[in-house]
Order: sequence, then C-alpha cells, then structure tokens
Amino acid sequence: MEYLLHIFVLIGIYVILSVSLNLIAGYTGILSIAHAAFYGVGAYVAALMALKLQTPFLSNVFCAIILTGIFGVIVGVPSLRIRDDYFVIATFAFQVITFSVLNNWVSITSGPMGLPAIPQPEIFGWKVSSHWEFLALVGVFAVLAFLVTRRIVESPFGRVLKAIREDEVFALAAGKNVAAYKVLVFVIGAAMAAVAGSLYATYITYIDPTSFTVMESIFIISIVIIGGAGNLWGSVLGAVVLVVLPEALRFIGLPNSVAANVRQIIYGALLVAFMMWRPQGFLGEYTFRKGDQG
Amino acid sequence: MIQQIIVNGAISGSVILLIAIGFGIIFRSARFFHFAHGAVLVVAPYAAFQTMKWVALPLVLVLPVAIMTATALGTGIEVFVYRPLRHRKAGSPILLIASLGIYIVIQNVVSLCFGDDTKSIRTRIVSPGYDLYGARITGIQFITICVAIIITVGILILMKQTKLGIAFRAVANDPKLARTAGIETDSVILWSFVLGSAFASVGGVLMAMDTDMTPTMGMRALMMGVVAVIIGDVNSFIGIALGSVFLGMALHLGVWKIGTQWQDSIAFLILLIFLLFRPQGFLGKKIKKATV
Amino acid sequence: MSLLSCDSLTKNFDGVEALSGFSCAVKEGEIVGLIGPNGAGKTTLFNVLTGFIVADGGQASFQGKKITGKPPYQLARMGITRTFQILRLIKRLTVLDNALICFQNQPGERLGNIFFRWRLSARQEAANREEAIALLQQYGLGDKLHDLADALSYGQQKLLSMICCLSASANLILLDEPVAGIAPEMIEKILDMIKGLPAQGKTIVLIEHNMEAISQVCDRVIFMDAGEKICEGTPGEVRNDHRVIEAYLE
Repeated sequence: MEYLLHIFVLIGIYVILSVSLNLIAGYTGILSIAHAAFYGVGAYVAALMALKLQTPFLSNVFCAIILTGIFGVIVGVPSLRIRDDYFVIATFAFQVITFSVLNNWVSITSGPMGLPAIPQPEIFGWKVSSHWEFLALVGVFAVLAFLVTRRIVESPFGRVLKAIREDEVFALAAGKNVAAYKVLVFVIGAAMAAVAGSLYATYITYIDPTSFTVMESIFIISIVIIGGAGNLWGSVLGAVVLVVLPEALRFIGLPNSVAANVRQIIYGALLVAFMMWRPQGFLGEYTFRKGDQG
Repeated sequence: MIQQIIVNGAISGSVILLIAIGFGIIFRSARFFHFAHGAVLVVAPYAAFQTMKWVALPLVLVLPVAIMTATALGTGIEVFVYRPLRHRKAGSPILLIASLGIYIVIQNVVSLCFGDDTKSIRTRIVSPGYDLYGARITGIQFITICVAIIITVGILILMKQTKLGIAFRAVANDPKLARTAGIETDSVILWSFVLGSAFASVGGVLMAMDTDMTPTMGMRALMMGVVAVIIGDVNSFIGIALGSVFLGMALHLGVWKIGTQWQDSIAFLILLIFLLFRPQGFLGKKIKKATV
Repeated sequence: MSLLSCDSLTKNFDGVEALSGFSCAVKEGEIVGLIGPNGAGKTTLFNVLTGFIVADGGQASFQGKKITGKPPYQLARMGITRTFQILRLIKRLTVLDNALICFQNQPGERLGNIFFRWRLSARQEAANREEAIALLQQYGLGDKLHDLADALSYGQQKLLSMICCLSASANLILLDEPVAGIAPEMIEKILDMIKGLPAQGKTIVLIEHNMEAISQVCDRVIFMDAGEKICEGTPGEVRNDHRVIEAYLE
C-alpha cells in the first residue's frame, strides 16, 4: 500500500513537471531540455532554506518559485536570439552547467554528498509525514498546477502562445510582443518546476545532484512528447505511463541494478517509436513540425 | 607547465576533432543534431572489448572489427530511422528527439551488457610516455594527434577533389538545388553517416585506449564535439578543426586555473557565449532575414 | 497631411540595393497600388514599413510619428497591418480564432488578468467574438467559423488574412498580392472588399502584378523599379507612361 502511495506521489510530482514543460514546449513550441535544472534549483532552494533557516514550507516554496523564476528569465531570454535546434543545444548547456554548479559548489550544496535530513513540511500546524499526507499535499499542488496551466492555455494568452508556436511572424504582425510571451512562459514553467522540486525535496528528505541531470530533463520532455505536446491531459497520461511502466518491471522480478537501465531503455524506445509512428504522442496536437513557411 | 597544457590541449583537441568532424559531416548533409552519434562512438571500444574476449586476438587486429561494427550501427540508424522519417517530411526537431531516444536505448544496452564500471581495452601497462619539450605525451596520445591531422587533411581532400565531396557540398548548401541537379541526397547522406560514424568510432577507440571507457562517456564526448562544431563554423571543416583545437586548449587552460570539476561548465559557457554573440557557423538554411 | 510618408528609404542586402532612396506619401482614405517588376523592392518596402526589416537610411512616418526602427508588434499596435506575399495564417487554429487573435488590447492576453480579472477578460473576449463573427459573416466565411484555417481554400485563406487586418482595427493596411493565384470569383470578392474599406476609414496600399485589379480599385498607382519610385499617377496615367512600358518590356 505504501508503495502504491509512493507511486502516486511520484506521479503527482511528474504531472507538475510535465504540465509546466508542456506550456513551454508543447504550447509555445520551444523544445527545452533544461527543465530538470529548474526542478533541481527549486529543490535545492527549498531544501537549503528548510535546513539552514528553518523557515516554514510555504515560504520555502515561495522563495524557490521566485529564485527559479529568475533563472527562468536567464534561460528564456537567449531563446529570443538563438533559434530552433540551436536553442535546444543551449538548453542542454544550461542544464549541464546547473548540474555542475549543484555538484561542485560544495560550500553551499554539499556537492555529491547531497542534503540529507530535509525537514518535512509543516503547513499552519499540519505536519506532513505519512504517505497519505504527502499524497494529499502533492495532489493539491498537482491539481493546482493543472488548473493554472489550463486557465493559461485556454485564454487569449494561450491562443497567442499557440500562434507563436505555429507562425511567429504572423503573431508579430498581429501586434503581439512575442519576446515577452516567450520569457513569461519560461518563468511560469520554471516556477512550477520549482514547486515540484520543493515537494520532491521534502518528500524524499534527501536530495543530491544526480536527481537533476540531463537524463532527468530528457525524461520529462519524453513525458510531454509521449503524452502529447499541446494537450494537458496528455501530460497527465504521460506521467502516469512513464512512471508506472518501469515500476511494473519490479513486479516481474527484475533486479534493481538492471531496473534503472531497463527503465531508460523503455522510454528511449517509446520516444523513437512515437516519433516514427505517432509524433503527436497519445493525445497531443503538436508534432514540433514547423509551419509550412520559413 | 605551459607546455603540458599545450600538449594536453592538443590531445583533447584531437579527440574532440574526431568526434566533431564526424558530427559535422552528418549535420551538414542531414541537417539535424544526430545525438546518437555519442552512442556510436561508445559502441566501438566496447565492441573491441567484447571481441577480444571471444577471440584472443591483439587489440590491433580487433580494431577494424570494432570500427566496422560501430559504423554499421550509425549507418543502420540512418537507414532504419532517419531516412524513413525524412521521407515523411519530419522536421529536424522530430529527428533530434528520435536521436535522443536512440542514444538512450543504446547507451543503456551497453550498460546492461557490460556494467557501468570502467572497462579497459589497454593491453599494456600504463607507460610514462615520452618527453616532448618538457611535456609528457604517451604513444597513444601521439597517435591520436596524428590520426586527427590525417583525417582532417583527408576530409579536406575528399571535399575538394572527389565526386562525393562535391556532391556533399552541394547537398550541404542547398539540398533542393542539389536534387534538381540530379544528386541523390539520400546516397550522400548515407555516405555521411558511414564516414561520420567511422570517425566517431576511431575517436571512441582512441579515447578508450587513453583513458579507459564507461558507457556514459559518449554523451560528454559528443557534446564537446558539438561545441567545437558550433564555435568553429559549422560550414567549414577547417573551422571545425580549429574549433576543436581551441576548445581543447581552452578546457585545459581553464582546468589548470579552476579545476577539472568545472570542465563541462567551461565548455558549455563558451558554447552559450558563441551562440549568443557570435553565431558564425550557423547553417544558413533558416536564417529569416526578412519575411517574404 | 499624409497618413504615411516615406522619405529616401534605402536598404542594402549584401551589395544589392533593394531600396535606393524611395519616397512617397499616402493620404488617408486612399487606395494606392504599388507595381513594378520582380525584385523592384516592393515587398522590401512593406517589410521596412512593418518593422520586419530595418532601413539603412531614410525615414518613414505614420500619422506624423516616426516608424522606422520600431519593432513589428509596436507598429501593428499603432495601426499598421499587412498580409504576406507567401500567405501566413495560423493553420492549426480555427478561422474564428485567427480573426480573434488579431484584436488589439485584449485583457485576456495579460497574465494578471486571466487570473485576477477573469470576468473582465471573458467579457471582452465575448465582445470580440461577436465582432469577429460579424466580420466573418459579412465577408462570406460565416459558415466556416470553426473549421481549421488549414481547411479553407487558398482564396478563402487570403480573404481570412484580410479579415484579420480588419479585426486588428488597423488604419493602414498593406496588402501583398491579395489576389494572386486565386479564382476569378474570389478575385471579385476581394476587390469589392478592398473598394469598401476607405468608407470604413481604412487606407490601403497594395502590391499587385494583376493590372486589371489595380485599375479597378486603385485611386493612385506608384511604379517602382530597382528600389526607387519611377512615377506615380492614376492607373491610366501610369500604365501609359513610357518608362513603365519600357521596364516591363526589358
């Protein structure tokens, strides 16, 4: 039972991550492999504040959001100058640099040793410690993340994002400040990833840089793509499938040492398969195919 | 001290160059980021390793097998994945994503088969190397530099003097025009993958002979190659060569000043600076100078 | 007082002079045709006027305000919109959404509003919707509201892109080959639409190779070649100008 709850908590965290990345990649069309960097920065900010300042959970999340949001600007602004495939490489660069900082700035992050004994959340007197309580907490944030993103994409703001994705020149000619929109989605995406990071840190109560690598970024973008870029329910479905599928392996008696590799093979293979036969993923409407012009 | 840095820089630069040139050949003709290149380069030394286990032959005789295996893999990816996607008019993002997936699968298969620990194909004990104007250089390292020079020169000659090279440049500059001129783009791209994968395999093997191997070394080597290609000018092989040497030197200089743990960050910071402020070497294919 | 005036605009692309000292003035309510051989610089001029290209020299002003050097989205907000020679629409959005997206000053496009002033945004969106539907119906796309823009015929897509200019409440509309490549019935439709626009307070400049269409709708024609204005006048005058005849014969 505990195990099942654990899976659900993970799904909840990945829903937040995939929905926020979908906003950037699926709705605005900016492919990014830097999302684990936002995830990690959020996790470390929240963890450090809880450990060093003993501040309450919600204020840690708030600070994580602010600081990661600023980082979102730093990643988003280059997207205005660097185009398409080259920008994907740039996000890769940001991701690796972030990992490197987390791993090497030992005085602050304890490097590879990680941060243990992260205090569990306490929200207005409610001490979150059991799996059920975490499920409730993560569940609330996941639903919130979904609803917030849905409000955004179903509004005229979201319509502009889709226009930017399909034909940026048209959007400019229609009077939209495309640059502002692009930077904003990065800020929002980063902020939500920071929330996921804070939840992760206080749930596992131990974080180290290996949870926030390029591979993790690729995993998150895989969820978005396989679930369906440009469709929020797709992100939910993708999170469920990609979290559950590898866990199901344990039940076939796959030893732990092998499970990690097999898990990656599964979603790597799924990525290729979907690109070849169903690039819009399960439920998506966008295939990262640029419009016919330009 | 400075001589050692220069020598180390040249060695690193040579390894990077082998990866970068292969990547560059593929990028210029197929026009997308072939991430799985990193997997191809890793398969070669592991293929050598496994072959030596099966057949007690010395490394030198096993190498051709290893290189052919990895080249076949790279070419196979083009034939079975990229080409069908291209014919379906898949854009470069889709190819990039598929390539990522392929890299992940291959790298993890290697991990599964061989484990994540460091393996070695070196058959000699580590030698102290030779003295070169006050710097140390081992035999393998010296060979690496020579191979890099030979391959660079070879590619330049190929591009200028052979039919394939001319066809390649046509496809790299303007695939549509090349097609109307009767050039078989698929065939040019195929040869790009053959050559590119072969060079990557050589690079992978030389790397392993110098510093042993792990399944994940491919991604890092590939990214250094990508950085070299971008900063050096994607459209010229001399540019790629220069970029590789520059990167090799810069890395070792940086490492000397602030430590090896920041090596990756240095490389990627250089990349970001170039992408932002000096994107020379951008392929001209989608430069929107103006709306039409 | 001209609505739009260009003063010695120059633009150089890698040694090719796309614009070499182009000047003109457009009065409010006019329909001005811009003709010239391929490569004359007509689209380049449009790109400069809409901010997609920065001129190397010279100035342009709209309603007395300088527009050279401003980014496209600002110019659109000032009231200058355009269509593109190679048709641009958001193919994956519906016809209605395409029209809606071009409305200016939508509160629902601001992040703060969609969370904290949702009713205001929703109300404006509903109002815009009504207006967009009315526009689309007026010009014959009323039964295609919820079809994807992709599903329209080429002529209908051109019509839609012009409707988008209208929903943007633009005062100056630059049309790049609005009737090129479409069927005669649709040409008539679009020309009628253009003719009716000055009555709505719009000023039009249109690039066309179709001389008949030009003669039908334009009050005035400017003939351009090699980046500069060669002559201007009524369609009849320009058509018979010997320089125009020579240029087309070369």
